[in-house]
Amino acid sequence: MSGLTTTEERLVSLPRLAKPLMTAVAATAVLTTAACGGDSTDAAGTDSAETTDGGSDAAPAPGGDYADGTYAANGTYSNPGGTSEVSVELTLEDNTVADVTVTPMASGTSRQFQDQFAGGIADEVVGVAIDDLDVGRVAGSSLTADGFNEAVEQIKADAAA
Amino acid sequence: MTAVWRFEAIGTAWEIETTDPLDDTSRRTVLDVIDAIDRRWSRFRPDSLVSRAAETGGSWELCASDDRLLRFYDRLHAATDGALTPLVGRRLADLGYDADYTLRPSATPAAVPSWDVVRWDPPVLHLAAPVLVDVGAAGKGFVVDAVSRCLAETGHARHTVDGSGDLLHAGEWPLRVALQDPRDHTKAVGVVEVASGEALAASATDRRAWGDGLHHVLDGRTGEPTRDVMATWVVADDAMTADGLATALFFTRPEDLARQWRFGWVIMKADGSVRWSRDLAVEVFGR
Repeated sequence: MSGLTTTEERLVSLPRLAKPLMTAVAATAVLTTAACGGDSTDAAGTDSAETTDGGSDAAPAPGGDYADGTYAANGTYSNPGGTSEVSVELTLEDNTVADVTVTPMASGTSRQFQDQFAGGIADEVVGVAIDDLDVGRVAGSSLTADGFNEAVEQIKADAAA
Repeated sequence: MTAVWRFEAIGTAWEIETTDPLDDTSRRTVLDVIDAIDRRWSRFRPDSLVSRAAETGGSWELCASDDRLLRFYDRLHAATDGALTPLVGRRLADLGYDADYTLRPSATPAAVPSWDVVRWDPPVLHLAAPVLVDVGAAGKGFVVDAVSRCLAETGHARHTVDGSGDLLHAGEWPLRVALQDPRDHTKAVGVVEVASGEALAASATDRRAWGDGLHHVLDGRTGEPTRDVMATWVVADDAMTADGLATALFFTRPEDLARQWRFGWVIMKADGSVRWSRDLAVEVFGR
């Protein structure tokens, strides 16, 4: 389970949320963050179970009464690797958000996933002599069988003849 | 690790490093493991199961352990929109990469059959047509994994299996591996660190190539050799996965493959540019 952190970015795109959650306006204020939503997110914020305490998190939902209970919905957000999905479970008590749980769905939501695509790029590689490197092994295309190499040589010889 | 055993098998060079030397019995066991897989899957030997199946099609009994390989191919086929398929066998052979290394394309190379002709009902493979199966994309990684298991079972828990292009490392310390430059085999385009328990696969079109743009990585949708990518490297938790994904990267973007598999990657394109994933312990020599 991810810790809910307090960065500004909105995690959930509202239009994708199910009805009950849409009406819980206060909840959207809580659902900020953690753009990655994965277990690896550093939990600078509070753990979900503690979001009942004070602060805007626990402010009464404006604009009317809501039935107590737990509401669930899925939401999506964009990250550098594409679209990721989270499931959100929210508990309302006396028009107050008592608990929020945000769970990443399957693959595509972890920090690792994002990191895969925040890697590097070199417009042009410049080969370095392997003899000058401190390495235990070399990885390239598989060495070919002698028969293959001989056949290639034969073709070259035929072509040159 | 101190002991190194070098040998040739399934048409390429192998090196196995262990803490203690492998005795004759262990070596024989390793060779038997490789040979057993080769007898089922090699399209380069006429007595193999896939060679015989290609004559007639029909139902052929494989092993329960082949389930892993066939399921992986099924997923790769779907993830690459059909570009990666083991049914390129006949076309590869017709283009010249056959058991005799003809290396001269026939005038009318066979089309790549549809995946529907294959049905896997473990341990039986049903071929609705006489198709030649080629597991070149993930088969060697599959063998490397089997060799690694065999070594562990014979009391050599710490080892590195290097099947030339496919490597599984189960040593005490991480292994630094040079990423060989496909344009100049004495050079490296980078160095990657492979942790213990990880596998690294390299795939490139520089060696199994025989003129006029012909090489061994075919796009199953067009039957043509790939053009854009020159070499790929993948680090994954096992050698079969690394091997298959290294080939899949010739057709499919890494972000698409990452929806299903966890892996690190390096891609070198034909223009000499290189991209790599950040979660990989890699240094690339670029500018």
